[in-house]
Amino acid sequence: MEVRPLRKLDELLDSKLMAKLDAIDVMSRKIFSGKLQGERRSKRRGQSVEFADFRPYSHGDDLRFVDWNIYGRLDRLFLKMFLEEEDLSLVIAIDTSASMRAGNPDAFDYARRVAMALAYVGLVNQHRVSLVGFSQGRIERATNIRGRRKASDVAQWLLKLEPSGVSGFEEAMRVIGTSRSGRGVMVMLSDFLFPEGFEKGLAMVAGRGFDMFALQILAPQVADPSREGGITGDVLLVDSETGLETEVTVTPELLRLYRDRLDRLCGALRGYCTRRDIVHMVVESSTPVETLMLEYLRRRGLLR
Amino acid sequence: MNHVASLLVATMSTSIDASLNQSLALLSPTLAMTWVTPVAGAILGASVLAPLIALWFLKLRRKRRVVSSTLLWSRSLADLRANAPFQRLRMSWLLLLQILAVCAIAFALAQPEAEGFGSSGGRHVILIDRSASMNAIEGDATTDASSDASTTSNATEDPTRSRLALAKVAAKARVDELLGGGWFSARASDVMVVTFGARAEIRAPFTDSVATLHSAIDAITPTDEATALAEALELSRAFTTNDRPDETATALREAPPTIELFSDGRLNDLDKLAMREGEDIVYHRVGSASRNLAVAAISAERPPDSQNQIQVFAAVVNPTMVPARATLHLAVDGTVRAMTPAPIEIPAGIELDGEFIAGRTQVVFRPIEQPNNASIEVAIIEDDALRVDDSAVVVVAPAKQLAVLHVGAGGFLVRTLLEGLPIARFASVTLGEYEALIESGTTNTWDVVVLDGVAPKALPSGRYFAIGVVPPIDGLTAFGNHSDVYPRLVRDEHPLFRQAGLDELFVSKSIAVQADRRFQTLADSAQGGLILTLDRSDLHLVLVAFDPLDSNWPFQRSFVNFFANAIDYLGRAGDAVTGRTLTPGDAIAARLPAGSRDGVLTLPDGATTSVTIAPDGSASWGPVLRAGLYRLGYLVAGRDARETLLIAVNITDPAESRIEPRAELDFGTSTVQGVDVAVSRRGALWPWVLALGLLLVLTEWWYYQRQIRLG
Repeated sequence: MEVRPLRKLDELLDSKLMAKLDAIDVMSRKIFSGKLQGERRSKRRGQSVEFADFRPYSHGDDLRFVDWNIYGRLDRLFLKMFLEEEDLSLVIAIDTSASMRAGNPDAFDYARRVAMALAYVGLVNQHRVSLVGFSQGRIERATNIRGRRKASDVAQWLLKLEPSGVSGFEEAMRVIGTSRSGRGVMVMLSDFLFPEGFEKGLAMVAGRGFDMFALQILAPQVADPSREGGITGDVLLVDSETGLETEVTVTPELLRLYRDRLDRLCGALRGYCTRRDIVHMVVESSTPVETLMLEYLRRRGLLR
Repeated sequence: MNHVASLLVATMSTSIDASLNQSLALLSPTLAMTWVTPVAGAILGASVLAPLIALWFLKLRRKRRVVSSTLLWSRSLADLRANAPFQRLRMSWLLLLQILAVCAIAFALAQPEAEGFGSSGGRHVILIDRSASMNAIEGDATTDASSDASTTSNATEDPTRSRLALAKVAAKARVDELLGGGWFSARASDVMVVTFGARAEIRAPFTDSVATLHSAIDAITPTDEATALAEALELSRAFTTNDRPDETATALREAPPTIELFSDGRLNDLDKLAMREGEDIVYHRVGSASRNLAVAAISAERPPDSQNQIQVFAAVVNPTMVPARATLHLAVDGTVRAMTPAPIEIPAGIELDGEFIAGRTQVVFRPIEQPNNASIEVAIIEDDALRVDDSAVVVVAPAKQLAVLHVGAGGFLVRTLLEGLPIARFASVTLGEYEALIESGTTNTWDVVVLDGVAPKALPSGRYFAIGVVPPIDGLTAFGNHSDVYPRLVRDEHPLFRQAGLDELFVSKSIAVQADRRFQTLADSAQGGLILTLDRSDLHLVLVAFDPLDSNWPFQRSFVNFFANAIDYLGRAGDAVTGRTLTPGDAIAARLPAGSRDGVLTLPDGATTSVTIAPDGSASWGPVLRAGLYRLGYLVAGRDARETLLIAVNITDPAESRIEPRAELDFGTSTVQGVDVAVSRRGALWPWVLALGLLLVLTEWWYYQRQIRLG
């Protein structure tokens, strides 16, 4: 089936969903220190409305934070301490290898829609949003985007992405892991069907301060080839990334083995992620983005 | 279609490999099938199948599909191959259709012929067995050979289920098939119908008229005759070579006809038959029932001491391999008079040196009072497949009331003794009076003439009891006297000595007698014969070669018994207690009183037919076809009353009672396998198979195209 390319922001994120996303925020299971004062609670004490503690006044302290009620009762100066609110770094990594261009609905388009929705949530909540598209030898970035008004820039950037080549996952993760600026939340959107495996790539970014979410996006036909539009009969399968050809006669037995293989792959990825405190989630590209955002990701703790 | 089929036939090889044919026949045990060209089919099948599978791997043009990743597919394939090394030869509709198509075409090339697919052409002789065993009724109730004979069923009464009826239906269907042309043949057939039992009859000469053949088959009626195929075969052979005298050369060149035998295979003369070269016999086996019991023999006699009674003896045979039980009843003139108190056991038949010997049980009924003539029937009560042999009839003559003439006025001892016996009419005359009677020719009104110490000059035909005198008979000579003789019994089992032993007899004076070999010596002494008998067709004699007054015999009990036995023996000499029993196929021949007329014969089924009686009283009719009691009524000259002569016709051929159909007929030189009549229509199968092969090719092509299009 011919896939019509996405051209406009509306196609990435419609206004209805946008309105619903205004009410939610990205939630990190860790509290990171940010660069700029933001809307996110920080480890640091600072200026905000949220009370944290008292401490005795010392010379040079800002008198505005002296608690005068206590001074009236105790005749001693105490300073009120508030939680500092800082910004959050949200990194969205999109697999732009050719394997993402698969199925109906297309897995790559779905990944872009999810990326747009997540980026929008981040922008609305004044977080620093960074987008990374990666494939073999090609890493495209859009970093430190802040503010709701940048949503269209993010959309334009996403619309320009085109899947091609092999994934180059390990290399891409190494680059992201070493060049990160500030701690934050990283959401990885990929099918994780890497011939070389996902372990080394994930090891590059895991344990480096990111609160990581791995969203494994699979087209329905990849998840189950017996579905409509899937693989049937005697076919010559051509790998979209490597061009390798495989003769296949689809039989019920082969389909069963395929599903076993996929389950084993997903299970291995889930196990690896669990061991490294990464949240893993398999999403079919037929799942509505709204459902994913408002239900699944909230349930898994990425959004609130 | 016929034309195309004929062309195909012409192009195909016609060689027959008998051994391959035999092995191929094993593939279809239930469908009798032959192969015209099995080699061609086998070679094609073997040579094409393997390359076909190889080509299938090469032929497959797969649809290219670009997928996100073949990672999972290649790993799954590796799993599949690891689990099933031969998975490349996996289920594929295309491959299956191709294999089926090739098999069907190879099958068709072998030109199979199967029962049930019709064929026509050539000349066919339909032989329909109408012997007694073909009256067996086919049905569930009668096919169970293992059960005892206690079950009854109405099925046995249904004539439409007899083997003959089934054979006729099957024969008519065969006629339709032979003369209907057929799907793959344009050849016409000539068919002849012959029916046979003990003898054969042509019912329809060679014709292609279906109506004629059908009516000829319909007209065949059942008989209770034995089965003899030889005459039918000879008849059909003779007809097939001589039916066109003007075209003799053509007729001789023509292939022998196919003989289509509709029978249960119980042929009495099978061991004497042989098939001729080129002769083709199709044995349409009729029926499957095997359970049958038969009354194989019946006889009756009047006990010597009670002439008004009748004692009946019967034999029941079991011609199956399973023991059976049966209850018999005895009916006199249709009225049941006795019954076996409990079912009698009849052992199973046995095979001895290849010969089947039926199980047999003798049954003796208690004597019943029956002074008059009567028809006596012994019948098995329980139903079995063949009812006609379940009963046997015998006709008994009335008890004879004897008339005895005593010749010799002086013999008071003998006369007094005779007067004491149960004799209907007795007279005592002198020798002179007796000779006068001889001259007047009226001696034949006496059953027994007792010559008491006197003898006429010449003896007319009759029955004589000579005591102390040697009558003038050829071969019998008196040559003096013996004295002080001790008699010795030679034939103590003779009826004359029933309860009449001679152990204590002493004869002081006897006549020395010399007799030729026609005389039988029953008692003799060291000096010669003392008691002799002669049984000639015209003359019966009991001779006691001494005067009882010259012995101590009158003082012994055996004296009276001997005289009573002698009178009884002579009085009934030459008279059978029972009338002669005929078998189906015999002719009725009766000698009625001279001048009898208006003969009417009543058949066992109640039908009547008139019988011509010659002026001398002889009448004949036949042959009789059914078993049972025949009644010949006639008007005796000078009397108004009608007399009736009873004639019993029984099946006595044990082969007819053995009704289990033969699976095959062994003609010595060859064996013909029986084919059930339900499926006994042989015809070419290969055109159908070829059509199936072509259809499979088309289906395969359509399926392939559909796959390409969908892919």
